[in-house]
Amino acid sequence: MSIFSYQHFPVYAIMVLFLGAFLIAAIGRKAPVRHCLAVLASGASLAFMIALIQPVMLGGEIIAYWMGNRVPAGGYAIGIALEVDALGLFFGLVVTLALFASVIYSIRYMAHDDNQEQYYILLLVLIGGVLGLILSGDMFNMYIMVEIMTISAVALTAFRHKVFGALEAAFKYMVVGGIGSTCILAGVIILYAQAHTLNFAQLAALIPGNLNTATKVAFALLFIGFSTKAFIVPFHPLAADAHGAAPASISLLISGVLTKSGVYGLIRLTYVLFQTMNLGTMQFWLVFIGSVSMFVCVTMALAQHDFKRLLAFHSISQIGYVLSAVGLCTAMGISSGLYHAMNHTLFKGLLFLAAGAVLHETGTTDLDKLGGLSKKMPHTTVLFLIGAASISGIPPFNGFASKWMVYQATYMKAVESGNIGFLLVTIIALVTSTLTLASFVKVTQSVFFGQLPKEYENVKEVPFGMRLAMGILALLCVLTGLFPGLVTTYLTEPATRAVFNAGGYINAMMGSGYAESVMGANAPAAQAVNFAEVGVWSPISWLCILMIALLAICIVALSSKYDRVSENQGAKVEGKYDLFFGGERSVYSQVGGDDLFWGFKHNWRHYFGFMHELHSGVVNDYALWAVVALALALLYAMIVL
Amino acid sequence: MSLVMDAIKYLVYILVFPGFLFCFLSGLLLCGIDRKIVARMQKRVGPPVLQPFYDFFKLCGKETIVPAAASRTTFLLAPLVGLAALVVIQLFIPVFNFSAFSGVADIIVILYLLLIPALSIIMGGAASGSPYAGVGLSREMVTIISVELPLVLVLLAVGKVVGNAMGTGLCFSLTQIVAWQAEHGSLIATPSMIVAAIAMLMVIPGETGNHPFDAAEAETEICEGMLAEYSGAPLGVYKLSHAVKMLTMTSLFVALFLGGIGGGIDRMLLSWGLTGGAAGVIAVLIGIVVLFVLCAIITIISISLIHAATARLRIEQIFKYYWTVVTGLAVISLVLAWYGM
Repeated sequence: MSIFSYQHFPVYAIMVLFLGAFLIAAIGRKAPVRHCLAVLASGASLAFMIALIQPVMLGGEIIAYWMGNRVPAGGYAIGIALEVDALGLFFGLVVTLALFASVIYSIRYMAHDDNQEQYYILLLVLIGGVLGLILSGDMFNMYIMVEIMTISAVALTAFRHKVFGALEAAFKYMVVGGIGSTCILAGVIILYAQAHTLNFAQLAALIPGNLNTATKVAFALLFIGFSTKAFIVPFHPLAADAHGAAPASISLLISGVLTKSGVYGLIRLTYVLFQTMNLGTMQFWLVFIGSVSMFVCVTMALAQHDFKRLLAFHSISQIGYVLSAVGLCTAMGISSGLYHAMNHTLFKGLLFLAAGAVLHETGTTDLDKLGGLSKKMPHTTVLFLIGAASISGIPPFNGFASKWMVYQATYMKAVESGNIGFLLVTIIALVTSTLTLASFVKVTQSVFFGQLPKEYENVKEVPFGMRLAMGILALLCVLTGLFPGLVTTYLTEPATRAVFNAGGYINAMMGSGYAESVMGANAPAAQAVNFAEVGVWSPISWLCILMIALLAICIVALSSKYDRVSENQGAKVEGKYDLFFGGERSVYSQVGGDDLFWGFKHNWRHYFGFMHELHSGVVNDYALWAVVALALALLYAMIVL
Repeated sequence: MSLVMDAIKYLVYILVFPGFLFCFLSGLLLCGIDRKIVARMQKRVGPPVLQPFYDFFKLCGKETIVPAAASRTTFLLAPLVGLAALVVIQLFIPVFNFSAFSGVADIIVILYLLLIPALSIIMGGAASGSPYAGVGLSREMVTIISVELPLVLVLLAVGKVVGNAMGTGLCFSLTQIVAWQAEHGSLIATPSMIVAAIAMLMVIPGETGNHPFDAAEAETEICEGMLAEYSGAPLGVYKLSHAVKMLTMTSLFVALFLGGIGGGIDRMLLSWGLTGGAAGVIAVLIGIVVLFVLCAIITIISISLIHAATARLRIEQIFKYYWTVVTGLAVISLVLAWYGM
């Protein structure tokens, strides 16, 4: 095997990131060298991932890579292994893309911070950890990568440690994240004690047929461990604190990458390792947690008055969509869930970067203080609006395409299984989408429109480098929305097939026929998957029609009196171009921030009061929630598995 | 050659029927009928039925003032985008046997497309920088949240009923829903759909922002909210959009619940011995007339009568009303539909 063979690419993709980190530590004292190294490392990693699309996504190959060529002997897999199937590659692509955007953005965004070498080192190590976790083929390496990821994420959260609350957020993250990592370690230990192997593929062959109390405990521990990494309810308050304090480029990664690693872990755990998803109770578990995350976090977001905290809660809300869709255990469900996971990285990254741009220029993200920035930062405003439209699911942006598939998947599941509960998920998802829109209208009004406060009169547009990173993500938001067919064909459908192909995953690693010999008749065969949709939607033709209609209307409008706009030419007419305030002084009339949706919140005041009390901000409470969640998960696993 | 013909055909669809010209004429006419009926119910003489046309052209001749604090491009472009989106929605709603673009007419897509006109007015208002617009857009958004839930439930119920009948279990395509009705009779004859239709009738005034659900525009307290700073042609476009939205919502109602009339038209033509291309044209022409009459009737029932009889609700009352009364009805219809009634 030549060293340029694509078989080596997975390990190269991880290696370049760590190598980049070490090189920055060694020779990255000067800013240009440091930036070059960071861009090169992240770009190379992304390139390796893209190069793997051809064999893995299209060719359907599953790459099993044994470090030092220590292949399994005597039926036991001892060596360190990487295994890349379409599912892993899908998440790998998302992760490396997010890293690339984050690095480009960081160059200008972090230009005035101290200790930048440490920042880039941690950044690359963080993503190296995530990529390692996703591509790893054995549980112990996965656990190590989880630890690398968590520790560097904690350090990056507190990177701007002089910002109020940063250290506190990092501490909370460390405590609850530590509980999660410990759960994963305990789960790994139990599995090793039971099956005497740590290899994913071998475990996937040995465990499902021999479930006992110990393995059920391990399942619950791993489940909770990955849930903390995905920040789903009840671990969502951590995300809000961490996002609020971290630099925007790190918020992008925490929301776009770390949560994805948790989702990846949950999919791998439930579909491949334990193969429990054909149980209705397991589907219920995932869909229930997903729906609760979706709804609770969107309502929490409505109550926020900090730009980044609001985005943080939306992030978890969108992960709720992903989890609900993945939990359906239908081809359509998984395909739409993965699609939404990818879109979530794109639009949420874009929104966080826009929030970072606002912070960069004005020094605050408080919605009650900002306003009227659209005149000062027109490009950022347009890019933000693309992101906001995407996350709210406005056609033809990507959020709509994936959410629409999620609705279809949940409703079809309801019809197929005859269970009216899944219908409730469709309705919750649709209402959540509207509430998401509401909260982005709030942000738009409070930050970019409305009146410009006096102290921000000298605000300028952000540097080109930052706009470039946002532009890349915005372009991808539009493209993945306009060409949903390409995304599903080349990315999500192969990944979905991989999810349903636990047998292939085992055999690729352990040699063909292994699954059948160990599991006998129960060996999971690659299932036939059906991607039929019930609805019809072609974004391109819709966009064409809209454009023609808009053009026609514009021509009619401009040829009539629409353009007879009188501009402000000096102070010819007193007060003609001023806003109408009805006698109030303008300083008292600013509407925006937290109180914008009074009519909605008034009716829900008891719910919001309850939520407010629940989210105390005390880390003891959150640790307690984690323990309670673990207890419930253990109980549930004991009963249903 | 056929490509050119197709292009001309689609251009005619977009510009004349069921696109821009049709929307313009029948929307404003519906608005005039509504105003006349309300006036008569309040023992006023009322404006002539063509008054909305006069208003529109008058506004187009007026000076457009862009406030110094406004974001100019968004402020001027927002009304046009909203109107274009409404025209496009109208293209997707089948007129009995005729649908201009059948491949994209999906009820969930329409649900989301209906957000775009509302968003355009919100963005325009926000871009004007006016504090009244701030209050107005907050109320508009709450109204959208209020109406969305019952509307979703009604649409899902319709999809379920038609899906059950077709044997696929689920149908999201509006064209198929209408085609099925043309063959098997209108959906409004089934028990679950009667409830759904009542809920939909209550949704229409909320979606169009008519009295008593017009807290977002409340002229007497917040100076028309998001329109406070608008003048001249952009204001005229917003008034036109409001009128077209009445047409869109009522014709959506017709498509969802009264699609069986299309079958009736076909059978009538057949009994007259008409077939072939001429029959198709006549069917479409009759369809347009019938659609307009039905839209006018639904406008009178769901918008004018309620307008004349009630006083404006406060925003939190609107929310409560939609999430209790109307949602309750919609849930009943969905549960009935689920169990095959």
